[in-house]
Amino acid sequence: MKRGIRKFKRNGKASKEPRERLGEKLARLFDIPADVYGNRPKVTAIGRGEVLIENFKGIMDFQDGMIRINTSNGVIKVTGDGLSIREITSEEIIIGGKISNIDYDA
Amino acid sequence: MFLVHLWNYIRGYVIIIVTGSNLERFINICARRQILLWDIVRIDAWSASMKASLRGFRLMRPAAKKSGCRVHIKKKCGLPFCLYKLRRRKGFKVGLLLFAFLLVLATSLIWDIEVVCSKPELVPRIMEALEAENIGRGSFKRGIDPKKIASRIVLNVDGLAWAGVEIKGVKLCITVKESIEPPVLIKNNEKFNIVAERDGLITRMEVYAGNALVQEGDTVRKGQVLVSGRLESKNPDFGTRDVHALGRITARTWYENTVPVSLVYTQRLRSERSHETVYLRFLDGKLKLSGDPPFEIYETRTEDRFLSPFGIRFPIGLTVETYYEVIEKQVDLTLDEAIEVAVETARRELKAKLPDDCVVIDEIVKQTEDGNGKIYMQVVIECEEDIAALVPATD
Repeated sequence: MKRGIRKFKRNGKASKEPRERLGEKLARLFDIPADVYGNRPKVTAIGRGEVLIENFKGIMDFQDGMIRINTSNGVIKVTGDGLSIREITSEEIIIGGKISNIDYDA
Repeated sequence: MFLVHLWNYIRGYVIIIVTGSNLERFINICARRQILLWDIVRIDAWSASMKASLRGFRLMRPAAKKSGCRVHIKKKCGLPFCLYKLRRRKGFKVGLLLFAFLLVLATSLIWDIEVVCSKPELVPRIMEALEAENIGRGSFKRGIDPKKIASRIVLNVDGLAWAGVEIKGVKLCITVKESIEPPVLIKNNEKFNIVAERDGLITRMEVYAGNALVQEGDTVRKGQVLVSGRLESKNPDFGTRDVHALGRITARTWYENTVPVSLVYTQRLRSERSHETVYLRFLDGKLKLSGDPPFEIYETRTEDRFLSPFGIRFPIGLTVETYYEVIEKQVDLTLDEAIEVAVETARRELKAKLPDDCVVIDEIVKQTEDGNGKIYMQVVIECEEDIAALVPATD
């Protein structure tokens, strides 16, 4: 009996990670767009002068020519000329300036 | 974007310079604590300039402490700071209050009254009815009840079927509809006689109903029955029947006037002297600006001058009353001239007395003299007119 309970508990712990995936699966099943569900970042580039990143965690580096932003999917690096943060709130950040690169895994 | 800028300006914001080795941390803490930052620009490796709302700036201190940054205000922008600067200027505050007060006062008054009416002669009577209710230009909109005024206008002015009163901004609009008078109905079974309206010689008779008692060529006195409403049958056994007499009786009538001939004539002449009295008008009020005329006998002419820039008539203006001095001069006339003047006077007086529907046929001028040697001029006008007057028969 004791063994059985332990096994059950272990199973419960182990199933924590797949349960999140289950949520995403459900979202896909019901055709809920990925940006509505969960906290994955959404990057919107408008023209060349503006990049909007939603669902970010924080900025890691802010320089004139490079801004690195931490997200749940990894770090996004925006490089360009004369970069500035047009607006920053807890949900979104708008980067302005002459953008030349948007890099993931940087 | 313009609206956002405007909103920020109204709320007020500060441009700050943040210096420190860990600027990113400062920005992250601010973002997490709902402190809105915008237009963040790197100045050098150690500092950046950014904008923050007033509320945000107040909450920024813990974030700065935590990240080890120093915050300086570079510039204060926005309406709150502008107002703060103006706070010490007393005159400005008084002016602002005065402006607000005058604006409220001016918009709570009636500045103009517009009457829409197809009969212009009714307009003064409508205005009188309004005046009786103490409503005029310059009265407060507050105490005005449009429905009450409309009913008052309909009650006090005859010949109105409906009145609508509406306050459009500072204008009182009154729309009225005139009622149509019902025609006079003639009931055939009522007994009416036709009597003579005045003395005359009958020239033509058209009798539509009734029993004619006079003939063409008869001379009749005022009040004499011309057509009787009682029809008598030729056979007395059938009795009589009462009708409403109708007919047109055209008669020749005479009007006369006698005027004594005077050899002295008073001539009124304007001298070259004149005087202007100026009143300042505001709405319906008048304020005298200059004095009374220095003449004893004068003629006046009144002229309203309104301030009307761009074709809009303002309720402020001047009334100028011009007084012209008149000199009375006694002139001696010859007999012929005196007679002419007397005849002219007699004729003028007589013309004013004539009824509207008469046609002038002839005019006779006679000269008479009484026992004392005074000469009189008599003017007799001969007319043709309808003298029929309907009177309910009493017998």
